[in-house]
Amino acid sequence: MPPRKPFSKDIILLNNVEAVVNEIVQKLRQDVLHKLKRLGAIVGISGGIDSSVCLALAAKAFGPNKVLGVMMPEKDSSPDSERLAQKLADKFGVKAIREDITSALSGYRCYKRRDEAVKRIFPEYDPETYKMKIGIKKTGLYSNLPSVFHLIIIDKDGKQQEKLLPAKEYLQIVAASNFKQRSRMSILYYHAETLYYAVIGTPNKHEHEQGFFVKYGDGVADLMPIGNLLKTQVYQLAEYLCIPREIIEKTPTTDTYSAEQTQEEFFFQLPFDLMDRYWYGFENGYSPKEVAKVMDETEERVKALFNNFERKIRTTEYLRMMPIRDYYGI
Amino acid sequence: MTQNTSTIRKKVTQYVLQETFAEKNKIQNDTLIFKEGYFDSMGFIMLITFLEEEFGIKTIDTDLIEENFESINSITGFIDRKTQN
Repeated sequence: MPPRKPFSKDIILLNNVEAVVNEIVQKLRQDVLHKLKRLGAIVGISGGIDSSVCLALAAKAFGPNKVLGVMMPEKDSSPDSERLAQKLADKFGVKAIREDITSALSGYRCYKRRDEAVKRIFPEYDPETYKMKIGIKKTGLYSNLPSVFHLIIIDKDGKQQEKLLPAKEYLQIVAASNFKQRSRMSILYYHAETLYYAVIGTPNKHEHEQGFFVKYGDGVADLMPIGNLLKTQVYQLAEYLCIPREIIEKTPTTDTYSAEQTQEEFFFQLPFDLMDRYWYGFENGYSPKEVAKVMDETEERVKALFNNFERKIRTTEYLRMMPIRDYYGI
Repeated sequence: MTQNTSTIRKKVTQYVLQETFAEKNKIQNDTLIFKEGYFDSMGFIMLITFLEEEFGIKTIDTDLIEENFESINSITGFIDRKTQN
């Protein structure tokens, strides 16, 4: 076995992006056409970097005529998401359709259930005049205590209020919001079944490993071509595949709550370039001491970060588990 | 009415054992319940809610430090300080 490379800031970079893209494209063809025996691919496109790279990979693998992009906005989505998704589809010559899921979500009482919980914390909250989001405190990152969530409401003048979220309200807001990802999954499978296509899932390595997805929502797909790539590597692919510059330069958001919120603010707590390097070190067994030296951090803080990663993997294991069925039988 | 330290400790211990399904002798008063993985993020949020409802305290951001929550002893001390203030 070759000796392990010393840890460095560049260790996460793909050296030959073209070769990686070709390998993914070839495997996509093999998996969809021969293993899953489907005729093409469906990709839900949000105007974000991950789904954009997935659409470009699919177009390369099957040809634009065998790929369908599906935009699934709802009333809390940023209008920018749809505009960018359409721009992407046009660039790659892929047909894109629009499925507004607002009425489906209203049918599930998604907004009503969420707003009821918000009002229990902030009685003055009115969804017509306020925006809301859930945030996480950065202090949790280097502590042995897990993170706790805060509910933030913003009125029409931009005045922000914030309160610690109790368990009951946190669970209700998250459960109600998860209707969004699960409704999108249903729409994607509707189109996949009508066209006899496979559904391409868009989570990257962090989202999958750290559990930043909804079980049976965006965590469901037939294939996840970037599921083993760090965010920095997804950006390398985006550059190579000539994804529109506006999409590459846009800060990744959750696009889930009515107030705008970055993924860093909601979940990851670290900018992606740092997260990728620490994660690589953690996953590949580099010592906190070795990583700390390169990253210009203290060993203690890197240790705490590694503990935080371990905790996230452990506490989100449920999301990655298939139904347990080995109760009886030989 | 404020509760004495031993009542607080008893109630906290009972809650911790009940929520973690741990055997009584596995979690001592000084066991690091978060570091050793007995409680996760959701467990922490539920613990805070329990403390607020049971002892009538209000937890603020600056309270959320290991010294106040890392073990049954530290939680008891935290409640003690909060209820006396």
